[in-house]
Amino acid sequence: MKVETHKIARLHAILWGIFSLGGMIAAFLLPVLIYMTAIAYPFSLWPFSGSRDPSFLVTGHLLGALFIFVTIAGSLYHGIFRFQSALTEVGLLKYRRALEAVGYFIIFVGIIVLAYYLVTWYLNGTIT
Amino acid sequence: MEDNERYPELRRRLSPGWWTANRHYTMYMVREWTSLFVALYSLIFIYGLSLWAMDSRADFLNFLKNPAIVGFSLIALVFTMYHAATWFYLLGAIAPVRIGRSRTKPWQALVLNLILLVIISYLAIWLLALR
Amino acid sequence: MSQDIATIRVTRYRPEKDLKPYFQEYKVPYRQDMVVLDALNYIKAEIDGSLTYRWSCRMGVCGSCGANVDGEPKLTCASFLHDFKGRTITVEPIANFPVIKDLVVDMEDFMEKLVKIKPWIIREKETPPEQGEYKQSAQELERYSQFSSCINCMLCYAACPIYGLNEKFLGPAAIALAYRYIEDSRDQGKEVRFPIVHEMEGAWECTLVGECSVVCPKGVDPMLAIQKTKILGATNAIKSLLMPRGGR
Repeated sequence: MKVETHKIARLHAILWGIFSLGGMIAAFLLPVLIYMTAIAYPFSLWPFSGSRDPSFLVTGHLLGALFIFVTIAGSLYHGIFRFQSALTEVGLLKYRRALEAVGYFIIFVGIIVLAYYLVTWYLNGTIT
Repeated sequence: MEDNERYPELRRRLSPGWWTANRHYTMYMVREWTSLFVALYSLIFIYGLSLWAMDSRADFLNFLKNPAIVGFSLIALVFTMYHAATWFYLLGAIAPVRIGRSRTKPWQALVLNLILLVIISYLAIWLLALR
Repeated sequence: MSQDIATIRVTRYRPEKDLKPYFQEYKVPYRQDMVVLDALNYIKAEIDGSLTYRWSCRMGVCGSCGANVDGEPKLTCASFLHDFKGRTITVEPIANFPVIKDLVVDMEDFMEKLVKIKPWIIREKETPPEQGEYKQSAQELERYSQFSSCINCMLCYAACPIYGLNEKFLGPAAIALAYRYIEDSRDQGKEVRFPIVHEMEGAWECTLVGECSVVCPKGVDPMLAIQKTKILGATNAIKSLLMPRGGR
């Protein structure tokens, strides 16, 4: 009788938990961000009808920076995680390890770069 | 036992197009592929922010007003809303709440969370743009 | 008086003769209250005795008669002919399992998985019967009774595309059954079962297609069990991260 060893995938459990959090973020916060930056601002609709300027995208607006960080980081994580899984379901299962590696790399780099740009404009506007 | 070795079993595995077989599977695939637009929008937004960090805020704002970006963002919004709706429905399916003897149904979670989405969106706009 | 006829297209596969499976059509006299199993039994009794399929209780409790009827996993004893469009009905062996002959599939993988999750009450220390029964309240029963309705019919495995793509996946019924025992207040076997359902090929493979719960003839809702298992796994992992030595 063969003895089976089973290993709890603890890391994956945590990564899945973050994915679920990202799903909440993408569902509750992403729509309003897209609305403000792609509809309200370009078409001068509420709340940017008078000023014609997206007032939270300015240097020193902490809440704006935090909002964008949480929304974009959460959405990026959730989107990449799920898309990589969806790819394994349309015939690319054997490339799963490679897809995971590429996916997490994009997430990691994306979030670091996002944080860097946000800190930059929050503190002093531009780098140059 | 010997017969199994002489007569092989017919192994059938799913083809990559398995999801076209019925409507449930197809809707599932559509739901999963909304993630592509969520991920792409995030990456494009990060690129836009780089214009602010590297060049100027005006470049970033022009980027936001670029018709191609607006067009893509609107498509992304549609898929994001579809993600939100299916996500809320799933929340209702996996976490039914007991009220007395009966349990909540998924469509009720969908309605409730859509209302919550409107409230949270208004709060976000108020906190970020109206104060 | 013309006889109402139904045409049943059945998969035939005899490995000693056929290289590939093929469909054979049989004409069966149609009655309003007929189920697919009645049609198969008629074919075997009156037309072609070589047709091979599993069945037993003919009332939806044994789980033997699963088949893909018009593309959907169903119990043949619970599928009325009048529920299908038209008078031609296609009957194939349930998807995602190797076929031994005609409609009979190899259940070995499923049986192994059922046994793997140890579907019995595990106690740290058994108490002798003289000390009395393990008491359980109605609320405690409520937490798992839905998941104990499984009749092992394998329709959920036939419906699950993740299992279809990756045979290593533990699968809906096995995980739901493991969850049934995890939630049973009499069971003390979390240490044993958690590693099995929380390894990579366990609950984590599931991506919420949900078809398993759609096809389940007993309302077990394995999708719900799998998600609750995932949530248990995630909270457990975070706990072990925050309290590495304590909090058992």
